[in-house]
Amino acid sequence: MNQHNLAIGFARLSDCAVLTVAKERGLFEKYNLNVTLKRYKSWAAMRDGLANKVIDAANMLAPMVVASAAGISPYPEIFTSSFAFNLNGNAITVSNALFQSMQHISPDTMLRRPLSAHGLKHVVDVRKATGQPKLVFAHVYHYSMHAYILKYWLASAGIDPDQDVELVVIPPSQMVDSLRAGQIDGYCVGEPWNNTAVLAGLGHTLITSSEIWSGHIEKVLAVRHSWANQHEDIHLALIKALLEAAVWVDSPNNRLTAAQMIASAEYVDAPLDEIVSSLTGKNRQTGGNLRQDMPDFNVFHRYAANFPWISQAKWILTQMVRWGQLTDDVEFDAAASSAFQPEIYRKAAAELNIAAPTINEKVEGAQEHAWVLKEATQPIAMGANQFIDGRVFNPAEINSYLNGFSNSSASRASEASKTDIEVQLN
Amino acid sequence: MISPPILQKYGPQLTSHSKQIDQAIANKGQQDSLAAAPLRVLLIDDLPERAALVEQGLSDAAIVHTANQVHGRALLDLIAEIQPDVIIVDCYSPGRDSIESLRTVAQNNPKPIVMFVEEENPSGFQQAIDAGVSAYVVDGLTPKRVKPVIDVAIARFKVMDGLRTELKKTKDDLAARKVIEKAKGMLMHKRGMTEDEAFAAMRTMSQERGSPMKDIAENVISILGLLEG
Repeated sequence: MNQHNLAIGFARLSDCAVLTVAKERGLFEKYNLNVTLKRYKSWAAMRDGLANKVIDAANMLAPMVVASAAGISPYPEIFTSSFAFNLNGNAITVSNALFQSMQHISPDTMLRRPLSAHGLKHVVDVRKATGQPKLVFAHVYHYSMHAYILKYWLASAGIDPDQDVELVVIPPSQMVDSLRAGQIDGYCVGEPWNNTAVLAGLGHTLITSSEIWSGHIEKVLAVRHSWANQHEDIHLALIKALLEAAVWVDSPNNRLTAAQMIASAEYVDAPLDEIVSSLTGKNRQTGGNLRQDMPDFNVFHRYAANFPWISQAKWILTQMVRWGQLTDDVEFDAAASSAFQPEIYRKAAAELNIAAPTINEKVEGAQEHAWVLKEATQPIAMGANQFIDGRVFNPAEINSYLNGFSNSSASRASEASKTDIEVQLN
Repeated sequence: MISPPILQKYGPQLTSHSKQIDQAIANKGQQDSLAAAPLRVLLIDDLPERAALVEQGLSDAAIVHTANQVHGRALLDLIAEIQPDVIIVDCYSPGRDSIESLRTVAQNNPKPIVMFVEEENPSGFQQAIDAGVSAYVVDGLTPKRVKPVIDVAIARFKVMDGLRTELKKTKDDLAARKVIEKAKGMLMHKRGMTEDEAFAAMRTMSQERGSPMKDIAENVISILGLLEG
């Protein structure tokens, strides 16, 4: 049989584990795919490469696909995905100096787990009152889970991410240098870039993204709609190869080997000891100095992790509206089901006899504990699915969910003058 | 001229070209406009040969700031301080995400961007024009071509930016009209005002607060909606 040549883009992050393993364990060959992996230093370059057919697929930030589906430039309605690479896997790390001032100003809130941003709020307030410059936080891209997770955490403690702090975009692999140089006070990034700062004694990891929203989608296999339509079989073969790799990576017994693979120069190119805790979930820092085992820090297959939930695409859309990237007249159903196409995933899973959900949406944030998804080809054991503030996102009630956020770019604009108009009208 | 603090801050990475300004001033007779306001160019490229080529091509026409290994916040600070007329960036530069965030976060004052692309299929990159990239330089750049490319990029950027502003204004006007009509209707219906009274009431509030009619109308709608349950 002829081999199909494919080029797939990725970035220097532990998230590339499934791609790496598929390549290193010969799973692409098994499905007659001759895959070249191409490493990118910026999300913009990866996006341009995918849109312009330099690459055929990419290990991309889920919100970048959703942004395209929602019609956001520069490549409106070009990208789609039928496979999620992983859940969770990001964390928020701050400089030693900021950590110390949080402990100094608000020692009691620093003992709470998961660590709320209330301690940080006190620091922000004190800085404002004493005329000090705003704290600077970095995330990796304006359409990223990192941005939404960071803003969610800040806002849940009453910190307005648009006004109370300064947010900047820095590529993942440069976060640590920026922190070291004192250019930023903290960041939200994927691994190994939190652990690297911790091990180098440059900062403290305050909270992991799985503690802010357990079970959130992270990277997806992004492809062009046109490519997926023209190459259904190749797309399916690619997803099957990746599914097999994901099953392998997700097994705790294989995580150390996977860590060794991705540490090498052509993938993440970082020391094994910086990478290993993200993949094994062992000895992870959270809460500023606590070390604990977090087996779900990175989820690559279990909990239906590879299924592209339409409800999660919709949650991403709500955050785009919340932070002023989209107006609320966006067509949530159309955009979400253009971004994620679960039907193709189901087909691949069925051919491998892997259980797949039979529903496209679920209520997000409503599971305090592990649970069983019965709406599936076989029942699927699922992990907790919870937001740090206890909010529940029902994709059937998007408007009320959005109205529930007092803290957003959209609401702030009109809140300011509402009160005195009320007085005048009455 | 380049401001001294930025030179101190990013000294080793930044090359100033005061010699070229002097030249430009010396050539004042022929290049009056250039001497008055030399073009400020920020060049972000890790390939020294290509950077040299760009500098050569612009030697009489611009002050070129070369910023390699400047990333993230430092890069944004640099842009804020230099206020370049155009940014030239390698499409594989890690700084691209930060530059794009400039457009999204601080939508005021976007810059024309010229990008180096070395791909098999560069034609498709035209689509990225919406992301603020105004021109592409594909392989085979010669010093002679640099200036025309940049001139075209700036000209195209101005046209695109004008169109964008115009489109946004038209959309906003239309949206505002809808909202004001709805608020007027609610005031008439729920407060028993005439059409003229309703409009006058909102206009007065708008003038008193110095806020746009649309904002007033939106608040009227949400308050009347709330009061009626």
